Amino acid sequence: MRLRLLPKSTVRRLSFLLAATVAIAGLSACGSGGSSGSAGNATSGTINWWGWTPTDTATADNYIAAFNKQYPNIKVNYKLVNISDWVAALRPALASGQGPDVFDVQPGAYVTEFKSFAEDLTPMAEQALGSDWKSKVAPIGISGLTADGRLVAMSVGAVYAGMLWINEGTFQKYNLSPPTTLSEWEHVCQVLKQNNVGCFVQGAAQEGFDQDTLQSIANSVQPGLWTKASTGDAKWNDPGIVQTLAIWKQMFGDGIMQTGAVGYQQYPDANNDFLTGKYGMVMMGTWYTQYATNKAMTAALSAAGVSGAKPFPILPVAFPDVAGKGNTSEMYGDSDFGLAVATKSKNRAAAETFVKWVTTTTAGQQVIADQLDDLPALKSVEPNLNVIQLVNPSSQTKPVQDLVTSVGTVTEPRESLLSADVQTAILAAATSVATGKATPQQAADTLQQAAEAAGETFK
Amino acid sequence: MRLASRREPSGVAVTETHVAPHRPPSQRAGAVGGGVRTRRQARRPLGLPWILPALTLSVGLLYYAIGYTAYISTLNWDGIGPNPQHVGGGNYTRIFHDPVFWDAVRHTVYFFVVTFLIQTLLGLTFAVLLHSRVKLAVVYKVIVFVPVVLAPAIMAPVFRHMFAPDGEFNGLLHALGLGTLAQPWIGQTSTALPVIMAITIWEWTGVTFVLYYAAMTQVDQSVLEAARIDGAGNLRTLFNVIWPEMRGTTVALAILSAIGALKTFDVPYLVTIGGPNYATEFLGTYIYRMTIPLDHVGYGAALSIILLVVALVMAILFQVAGRERKARD
Repeated sequence: MRLRLLPKSTVRRLSFLLAATVAIAGLSACGSGGSSGSAGNATSGTINWWGWTPTDTATADNYIAAFNKQYPNIKVNYKLVNISDWVAALRPALASGQGPDVFDVQPGAYVTEFKSFAEDLTPMAEQALGSDWKSKVAPIGISGLTADGRLVAMSVGAVYAGMLWINEGTFQKYNLSPPTTLSEWEHVCQVLKQNNVGCFVQGAAQEGFDQDTLQSIANSVQPGLWTKASTGDAKWNDPGIVQTLAIWKQMFGDGIMQTGAVGYQQYPDANNDFLTGKYGMVMMGTWYTQYATNKAMTAALSAAGVSGAKPFPILPVAFPDVAGKGNTSEMYGDSDFGLAVATKSKNRAAAETFVKWVTTTTAGQQVIADQLDDLPALKSVEPNLNVIQLVNPSSQTKPVQDLVTSVGTVTEPRESLLSADVQTAILAAATSVATGKATPQQAADTLQQAAEAAGETFK
Repeated sequence: MRLASRREPSGVAVTETHVAPHRPPSQRAGAVGGGVRTRRQARRPLGLPWILPALTLSVGLLYYAIGYTAYISTLNWDGIGPNPQHVGGGNYTRIFHDPVFWDAVRHTVYFFVVTFLIQTLLGLTFAVLLHSRVKLAVVYKVIVFVPVVLAPAIMAPVFRHMFAPDGEFNGLLHALGLGTLAQPWIGQTSTALPVIMAITIWEWTGVTFVLYYAAMTQVDQSVLEAARIDGAGNLRTLFNVIWPEMRGTTVALAILSAIGALKTFDVPYLVTIGGPNYATEFLGTYIYRMTIPLDHVGYGAALSIILLVVALVMAILFQVAGRERKARD
């Protein structure tokens, strides 16, 4: 088909129109990409909150409903983003200016990564809690969320790890006691397997959860060694770390770890398998306390695809002394997450109102505490176990109360000292040892090289 | 070529006859004074508005993006920081000493060879069978093709479940009395990659089948009849008459499979996250891992450039090989 050419005058008009359109589009693009947000109204407006946690929207909606009792004119939309997609989703959203007004920040690598997109919340903390605000909140929630002297996010609550959770019914049924040593652990697994019940389930394909187990093993080998390696005061190929990896390998060979663990993810695979009763033990932190309640356990069972299942009681138990050196179980923790206010938010004042209410008021922190997902950031607030409906209060109340009390003295960090590169290298070391591709010594040497290549310095 | 260049002026001149009366007087004067050459120059800009959208898209999006990626590949940069550090070819040097990169390359080659061969075999077999008089042929065609239209994101959780230690595949093995073969298929380095290849073959055999099926409809019936008259059986007809006719289709499928292998991302990422222990890492998943979760945008860009070069070299090789064979024929 032959096209008829247009008269030149028409072409000129078209060219001008095209040029004008391009110019306007370019100007508008500059406008939307480069502008900062505006303060807006502190008591009304709509704000968007993005987070990977709370991991179910019902919990987030519960927080928002409590907030709206005091601030009914601020509408909060919660968007749950899977942790594996978090960076990919958040970075372009914040960079474009079309992202959330409030977003979750995890201590450690994410603070560095997103600090330029977040307001400094120090003035907000001082205004809400006074000039001595640091003495009123858990210190573990401040250091991990501060970068370059700026408070990138205000801690909502903390999580601690270093314990196991067991299915109480399974242990009672087979007359088992929680293991305290590696050999007892192996015995428990033998008994459960003889009865066609899985023993311990671990999502060894995910670095964060491998780190928890490795850090607990390392604390059994030499308390504090893991943290020393994280800060550069010890090397990752220290003999203690090599022994840690050797014990980790032994857990695969002796049948403690489930078959195919290195292909498992902690969420959803291991979590679902434990909650559906396929396994008797799992390595989870204090965030799992929520599943000691009827409400959260029922919701979790439903999410795991079990319809009409009856909630069962779970109990926290100390991590066994797997090195046999008599070292007691040390726990470690970080702020679970903080809430940051986006610099480009167009409703910054309302966003700050929401963050302030959740993180610094007694009402907000009590809602967080009673959810039993995070332990509250404010020191003055504790979960109200008289109100919370546990699945089996007679057996669960004391262990849960003991757990809440014991973490108050924890100072050892969990992940906040580790960069993303080192975490990846730890996962590579763990899986290469587990699959027999490397000896513990080789894996530890490779881990040390990777940490040095990532810019970590060692004494 | 000479014929074409002679036709062009005459063709345009016809158009010029229609356009000239609508032009402003000044331009008409210029055109008249300049003769044929000047008139052609005056006409040239008129085509620009028509190709401008395509030109903007291709230059603005494609080539600009490639150029920008090449530039980023010389940086040590997290993608958002204000002060990227220039490292020249440092990222490329690191890549060539990176064992995970070489693992990814090996996986890609292995993946291409196995998936291409099995898909070709299955696709050809299905096409031959469904060209014979089979009852319910349409139903079989649909069954073979349905996996092509199912999104990997939907099927990935199904496969994760199916190949789990207590999944349906092991259940099937137990039911068949082959329980000793049951194992954690995606939870060990020795079997994870074969599982990824099996899923890919299941997913894409439908395309191979459709292309072979269509190509077989083009085979001259008289040639087939002549083969029959000469006493050729089914297999001899297939290998000596039909298969040579499928050469063009096979080359096209080889190119598609090779490019597909280089671009492989969705299935390994969704089913095994490139693991365990990088056992299913491909160039695509490694680029994503380095660029997004680890923020090594410069390193990821360097990997992307290498991927681009490999794809270009491969496409050229296939093209050259195809032309040489055509010339020999």
